[in-house]
Amino acid sequence: MSVNCNISQENNQVIISVNERFDFSLHQQFRDAYSHCLDKHMSYVLDLSETDYMDSSALGMILLLKDHVDLHSSKLVISKPSDTVNKILEIAQFHRLMTIQH
Amino acid sequence: MTNINTHAKLALVVDDSMTQCMMLSALLKEENYQVVVANDGACGVEMYVEYQPDLVLMDINMPVMDGYEATRRIKNICKENLAPLIFITSMDTEQSYIDSVEAGGDGILVRPFSPQVFKAKIKSIQRISDLYFQVKKLQQEQQKDAELAEKLMSDVIESRNFALNKISVIKQAATIFSGDMQLTSLCPNGDIHVLLGDFTGHGLRASIGAIPVTETFRAMTKKGFSILDIIAQINKQLCDLLPKDLFFAACFACISEHDKSLYVFNAGLPDGYLFSQSGVIKHRFQSIHPPLGILPKLIINIELAIVSVDASDRFVLITDGIIEARNEQGQEFGVLHFEQAAEKGLLNGDIATKVALRLKNFCKSMPLEDDMSLVDVPCSGWQESESINKANQPQMPETFIVEEAFYNTSPSWSWQLELTDKLLASVNPIPIIMNQINDIEGAGEHWQSLYTIITELFINSLDHGVLGMDSSLKNSAEGFSQYYKERSKRLEYLLDGFVRIELYYFPFSHGGKMFISIKDSGEGFDIFNVLKSNSYAQDKGLNLSGRGIELVNQLCDTLDYQDNGTLVSASYVWHNIKH
Repeated sequence: MSVNCNISQENNQVIISVNERFDFSLHQQFRDAYSHCLDKHMSYVLDLSETDYMDSSALGMILLLKDHVDLHSSKLVISKPSDTVNKILEIAQFHRLMTIQH
Repeated sequence: MTNINTHAKLALVVDDSMTQCMMLSALLKEENYQVVVANDGACGVEMYVEYQPDLVLMDINMPVMDGYEATRRIKNICKENLAPLIFITSMDTEQSYIDSVEAGGDGILVRPFSPQVFKAKIKSIQRISDLYFQVKKLQQEQQKDAELAEKLMSDVIESRNFALNKISVIKQAATIFSGDMQLTSLCPNGDIHVLLGDFTGHGLRASIGAIPVTETFRAMTKKGFSILDIIAQINKQLCDLLPKDLFFAACFACISEHDKSLYVFNAGLPDGYLFSQSGVIKHRFQSIHPPLGILPKLIINIELAIVSVDASDRFVLITDGIIEARNEQGQEFGVLHFEQAAEKGLLNGDIATKVALRLKNFCKSMPLEDDMSLVDVPCSGWQESESINKANQPQMPETFIVEEAFYNTSPSWSWQLELTDKLLASVNPIPIIMNQINDIEGAGEHWQSLYTIITELFINSLDHGVLGMDSSLKNSAEGFSQYYKERSKRLEYLLDGFVRIELYYFPFSHGGKMFISIKDSGEGFDIFNVLKSNSYAQDKGLNLSGRGIELVNQLCDTLDYQDNGTLVSASYVWHNIKH
């Protein structure tokens, strides 16, 4: 269970990926992954292709990330959620709040 | 709060060498410990039980029972109480370190050591144990406070729910506090509002929003606001109140018995269900909106799901704790399991019990990861419930009407509201009207009927008058939802039109009369034809439309259509019951 973060300055891209379970225990790790990134006009990708489980506090963490992204005039895309994770995003109707790429 | 530091502490020294015992005792006394001594492991365990010391110093090699075994037994006895235990040994090997930790020791001190090193070791280990006691104490206090708060909370919230006897529930909290909440409340016109909600996470953090949600839900329902109004208000409140990452997944429903319909707004809960008596799923209510408390305003153009219901149908809502409950193999209970259990339960007449049993058999001894809730609400039978009792409605003696209703011709007050154009789509005049009446005349049981009359007449004028909707659309179940789609479309594109509502209040010595007149800008209708076909259909039990006006007819004293059906006037008379 871990959070990985890749920042590529040339592409203005921040890629955050979460393995296995995305739940409350990752709260601090997840926040640490992006909070130091203060550049504007970046494009953030939250890669959930390797995530097999997500709870509602993970949705809360995504909202905090979205807040950070908006604050820095950047864009957020959720990328390739697995079927289980997608079901949870769907119930929460998150596609109405942000872009989800399948 | 007692301070553990003020008492002299007691140390137990377990060593077969008298010299060692004396040396350690002397050092401990300098640190203000009282000391008891045992000369072998078995004796050490007995002394430990007898004295419950604050600190144990343990030799390893001793007759009868060695230090490792004695330590294992002591740690086994005092699982809860962490009295730190330090091994004192001259065996300076890696293995002795490993073995002493394995046996349950909290530290090891290898001879020879200076008095200063010994004292420093004792201090550091005592510091850790003090912290442990503090944490434990705080934990116990917090547990006590939480239990008390939970009791207060559930008293405020769920014990005041409407018709508790009609609704069956499952409610299992993962911690003392549940982040799930269930509310039911009675509308002035006899409809029932139902809410099942789930705050992010669980525990105290998840239940802080519960009280404002409850208050708003109850107060607005009582005043006659629609569920959409209530949802919008709760959303706004929670958005202001909750931290960014905390939100409220909830499903709201309005069950209208006289209209035989169900209105549902699911914001972030798993599918809700409408089951027929035989266990067939008639409708799934999918989530159509993000959970509340995220967006400052509800997303526009999201519509309530509206379906027609039979009296024997049941409406069932669940939180994700049920779907996501895990067994020992890590598998989820899942939607399929739930639906099967619910169907079985329905056939036996009890969904909640069956689902709870299946969950228990599935999860076995696994601890709950999340709060689990289910509500199972019947679609009829509210009339027999406590506060809607038709038999208690004021009865009017015939002579009374004749005398006062005829001779008292000037109203004590009148009130008028005209809504035009776009405002017709955005303003719900009913709560405004009811507020006026309450403000002037005070609260009263008879306003319930008046509310129904005004609501039905206003909706008729708006729908069939201004919007020109044809109520025969509502004759089939599919047409029913089509009707509401068409209605909201016409409302959205409404450019002109008006509805004018006038109220005239006539006080009597033991009651009063309200005269209601509603005029609309529509084209009118053929009054006689509509009334005739309605009563024909009603006799045959066929018709889904026209029920509203039939109800109004029963409640009103007089009901007249004029101006080709564009003006309706009704009078409602009541008699105060003497207490």
